[in-house]
Amino acid sequence: MTELTLLRDKHIKYIESLDNKKDDYEYWLSEHLRLNGVYWGLTALCIMDSKDTFKKDEVIEFVMSCWDLKRGGFGPFPRHDSHLLTTLSAVQILATYDSLSVLEKDDKLELCVQFIVGNQLPDGSFQGDRFGEVDTRFVYTALNALSILGKLTPEVVDPAVQYILKCYNFDGGFGLFPGAESHAAQAFTCLGALKIANRLDALTASQIEETGWWLSERQLPDGGLNGRPSKLPDVCYSWWVLSSLAIIGKLDWIDYEGLKEFILEAQDDVKGGISDRPNNEVDVYHTIFGLAGLSLMGFYDLIPIDPTYCMPTSVTATFKKYPYIGK
Amino acid sequence: MHGIKRQQYSREILKQKRIQDQQKIKTYKDLTHSALDTRDKGIFTTDALQLTSKILELNPEFNTIWNYRRDIILTVTNDVKPDFWENELQFTMEKLKRFPKVYWIWNHRIWVLDNYPNATDKIWLRELFVVDKLLSMDARNYHGWHYRRLIVKKLESINGKLMDKEELKYVTTIINKNISNYSAWHQRVQLITNIFNKHELNKKEMKDMVLSEISYITNAIYTDADDQSVWFYTNWFIANDIVRLVLTNDEYIKMLKDIKDNVILINNDDVEFSGKENNWCLKILIVIEKTLKEAGYELDKDEHTEEYLKKLIDNDPQRRNRYIYLSTKQ
Ligand SMILES: [Zn+2]
Repeated sequence: MTELTLLRDKHIKYIESLDNKKDDYEYWLSEHLRLNGVYWGLTALCIMDSKDTFKKDEVIEFVMSCWDLKRGGFGPFPRHDSHLLTTLSAVQILATYDSLSVLEKDDKLELCVQFIVGNQLPDGSFQGDRFGEVDTRFVYTALNALSILGKLTPEVVDPAVQYILKCYNFDGGFGLFPGAESHAAQAFTCLGALKIANRLDALTASQIEETGWWLSERQLPDGGLNGRPSKLPDVCYSWWVLSSLAIIGKLDWIDYEGLKEFILEAQDDVKGGISDRPNNEVDVYHTIFGLAGLSLMGFYDLIPIDPTYCMPTSVTATFKKYPYIGK
Repeated sequence: MHGIKRQQYSREILKQKRIQDQQKIKTYKDLTHSALDTRDKGIFTTDALQLTSKILELNPEFNTIWNYRRDIILTVTNDVKPDFWENELQFTMEKLKRFPKVYWIWNHRIWVLDNYPNATDKIWLRELFVVDKLLSMDARNYHGWHYRRLIVKKLESINGKLMDKEELKYVTTIINKNISNYSAWHQRVQLITNIFNKHELNKKEMKDMVLSEISYITNAIYTDADDQSVWFYTNWFIANDIVRLVLTNDEYIKMLKDIKDNVILINNDDVEFSGKENNWCLKILIVIEKTLKEAGYELDKDEHTEEYLKKLIDNDPQRRNRYIYLSTKQ
């Protein structure tokens, strides 16, 4: 058996090829994920120190073409409706390119903030858009985007934190809604939201230990991590768990070598890219989260990733830290 | 993408696929453009609704089209036939059967029910059967459980009657069918907590409930000592406020010691059978010892936490740093 290694060049090629698939029906069926896809691809390239693979001007032009003229915020594709999930992707891409200033034209910054804040509900939660789906993912999405834009306020943050705390479960995990089962992705969104709000101290040390325990039990004998007990391991869940552990300072509560092997085995050694688990079809979503996991564990001299934002630390270091002091 | 096997297609097959895709792409793009065009012209008619049906048939994750569909429904709602809302529920059900994990479909179904004119409890009660069915196909479906809780909450508010006891019977059945259904154990925690906090139980009822729960757990750990569901539940149960409140301190200590004895027995059985200790037994024994001490019980020579941690460092190396952390905290 040959020793596995990171197929960096193949992954770069794979991401580069994603926009050349317009002859595939699947390309069109996934329009509703396009802007997220650009964020995943760009961040993966950043981690591999290959940011220039994408043409900055073209990407920014595409991002701005996703602006929702009617309601503010960004949709996943031109003419699609805005949603918190895609608005975050847009803001993340612009921040990665140090180009948030493009929002200054036509009051877009103001409208974007209004769109996000306008989706907060009286109990502190957020709906994804005007149709009322509530999920802790959207609390994270909203706080993350506002934080990048430097527009967090106590009026938004305080009730959001209270809401997140209601989603803390008996097992130390977090659910998508008060009373909902713990799920690794929700642990990430809830801990990420608390971290952005600078309110991890709202959890006691023993609560955080329980969280760390539940998260560490996600690792399976094959090294991969699952999102819930008795589920299969998955590269994307590996990232949700790993970033959560990093946020609470317990990253080493799982075995790095095992997880590294699991991620490397999920690589496609012919066309590049990483899949949910070994021998499955690759996609850009699992490619970024596999790479981000490897970066967080410090393998292969990858560019350091910020576990809270899933963006390069060199970018997130420039964000204003909440609470804002002084002017 | 989840769970799709990787395949290497031959050039020939790829060529064939490209040819077939051409037509599909054209159909899809034509439909999409025509829907977005009618939307932009401010057309909200039943014809436009048909158009969204066609697109959602091809792509149920197209949330902009779901949004358009809802805007149309809100506009035409006074002119539709009486069976319109039933058909709309039927429409989402067909999609859910094919795509039980797509958020947008679940979201639409909830929206339909919330907007269903004069929805009686019968409509919502039927949803409980619907979700029963979906959960019987996938007993861990995350959306399904979330949906169930939403439906129950709605029914409780319509009927002014709590349903926790019936729901507890339901999750007990589910757990009895498969003891490693973590979703059901999770729900059990919610329900037991609700029953104690929201129902007016007398002292005897409370005590009976705690005692029956202790024997339920004991049974469960003997049934499958390798599954983490029951252990996480036990970890919660032995230190939660309800039990502390209902039992006197002596009774509480006795409960902990009984569970401890059982866990030790299970672990010894494992050693005898496989030559290996049961890691979960060791993990829970650590918690029990800590809880006993917190309850004021002197373990003295009976305290083995340090020894358990040492064993776990060797036997469960993936999580060794957690055990090292715990032992430095000792
Ligand atoms: Zn995944």
